[in-house]
Amino acid sequence: MRAAALAGGAVVVLGWPWAVPRYFVFLASLIAINAIVAIGLNLLTGYTNQLSFGHAGFLAIGAYAAALLTIQAPLVPLPLTLLAAGLVTAAVGLALGVPCLRLEGLYLAMATLAFGFVVVEAILNLDWLTRGNDGLRVPAARLGPWPLATDTSRYYLVVTVAALLIVAARNITSSRTGRALLALRESEIAAQASGVNLAAYKTLAFVVSAFYTGVAGGLFALVVGFLSPDSFDVFLSVDFVAMIIVGGLGSILGSVMGAAVITTLNDSLAGFQSYRPLIFGAILVASMLFMPGGIASALHRAQPRQGDRA
Amino acid sequence: MGEGAPLTTAALAHVLVSGLATGSIYALMALSLVIIYNATRTLNFAQGEILMISTFVGWTTLQVLKAPLVVALLIAVVAAAVLAWGLERLLIRRAISATHFDVLIITLGLSLILRAAAGLLWTHDEFPFPSFFASQPLAVGAARVAPASLGIIGASLALMLALAALFRWTRLGRAMRAVAQNQRAARLMGISVERVYSASWILAAVVGAVAGVLIAPVIFLSSQMGLVAINGFTAAVLGGFGSMPGAVVGGMVLGVLENLAPLYLPSSIKHSVPFLLLITILIVKPGGLFGRVTARKV
Repeated sequence: MRAAALAGGAVVVLGWPWAVPRYFVFLASLIAINAIVAIGLNLLTGYTNQLSFGHAGFLAIGAYAAALLTIQAPLVPLPLTLLAAGLVTAAVGLALGVPCLRLEGLYLAMATLAFGFVVVEAILNLDWLTRGNDGLRVPAARLGPWPLATDTSRYYLVVTVAALLIVAARNITSSRTGRALLALRESEIAAQASGVNLAAYKTLAFVVSAFYTGVAGGLFALVVGFLSPDSFDVFLSVDFVAMIIVGGLGSILGSVMGAAVITTLNDSLAGFQSYRPLIFGAILVASMLFMPGGIASALHRAQPRQGDRA
Repeated sequence: MGEGAPLTTAALAHVLVSGLATGSIYALMALSLVIIYNATRTLNFAQGEILMISTFVGWTTLQVLKAPLVVALLIAVVAAAVLAWGLERLLIRRAISATHFDVLIITLGLSLILRAAAGLLWTHDEFPFPSFFASQPLAVGAARVAPASLGIIGASLALMLALAALFRWTRLGRAMRAVAQNQRAARLMGISVERVYSASWILAAVVGAVAGVLIAPVIFLSSQMGLVAINGFTAAVLGGFGSMPGAVVGGMVLGVLENLAPLYLPSSIKHSVPFLLLITILIVKPGGLFGRVTARKV
């Protein structure tokens, strides 16, 4: 049953570019990118209860790092560029995460919110490097001998990276590390008493979350091809939070579904800009009041219990 | 600008007064955030949007009824109270037993809804708002100060004193302080905690509405003016979140710093000052200037 669902999903994902118009290939790439961010954010928020309103800032750092690397050093292979984008962002995540260890709840939310604003201001001010408000055009990348010139080729790259990161996230969450993070979420004191190193694991969650978002930023730069500071405003951070709330806190599948729902909604509301925040706000309020566990837990409840769940 | 040139006393006085005026508004915003936080232990992300909506309602009465400004202020205050009461009863109360995280997300959703609704009702344009105060600068010694600044400072101080009196001498104020200290003990003493929740939302909204009518002539009336709440939060953190005197001092300090910073710092980082300040305080001294370090009970 599970294997069948997985195989079906794989067929849909791989066959997607051949079944739909080009625009939907681009949209699916965006969904996959946002899913990576949502997973990263969920590792932080869903697993350790650290709310971040600054992930648009991390995404911007990854995107600009990848774009600048592609421009300045076109010979660096693409996987290394993406890795570098992730690592640079993870380093920033470490620099922000260590002092933020002292903060929790709404203080952390506000500190990360402020971080997001500072990143946008920094991009504007470093205009000799980032071209500020004019925006930065990202040259088409090459993967080895193949130029990634079409939406379809970029789609397959994004989906491959997303699949790798999903598997990695599953491994993290089902390992000792994941259990330690969950223990911290339930009770920091009880977890510490059981020998979980609070500072180390919370920092780790921050760094991993930033890494995921940085890689997603690198992919974003490739897929969208044009970066400007206003694409990374605080409302994007709110979108990411909405994705994990709607999808389900502490669920990887939920992160992917939340990303799909919010990205599709964003796209279909593009012509109704003034109604967009209205609908988003209503979704946030409604999912908190009526569906606190998000899509993931709604699915879980709807599914008949299976005896083989270990 | 930016050279750190020595300021004349007159110029410094001008900067200080306008800093204190901005600071008064931040202080009022900080107070309204702290009032709700003390009662319910959650942050109201929609505080700025409630301010914005009630100021718009006041402005509409000015436009439609050609009413005097005082009437507009009263209408704005009533609108804020009704809106806050309704939101608290309809949405927040249902989730109050849930985690603070849930309430935080709900108020975040509310802030998006209210801002979009204001955009649909009144467009996202900026509108001039009449002021209570004359625009001709006053000469105080060698310094020239705007009457609006002095008026804002004076009105805010009066409101703060009224709040202090309310918290100190009224039954409701005592009940609110009791709930802030220990919710369960307060309930056992016969205080209706639910009523305190409602009262704190209404009180916070009323403070916000007054702040909105005071600041709208300076920053213009627009659907974005609710963002002033972020500075209110910074002010509250600076003073020690939860402390009311701290909120006032934090607001004043932030206002003055924000007005002084452009004189000494490159203008390019001017906009980041509140945010950098917020990150710095949170990292260096999360308890703020007046905050107590609380030991957590296991």
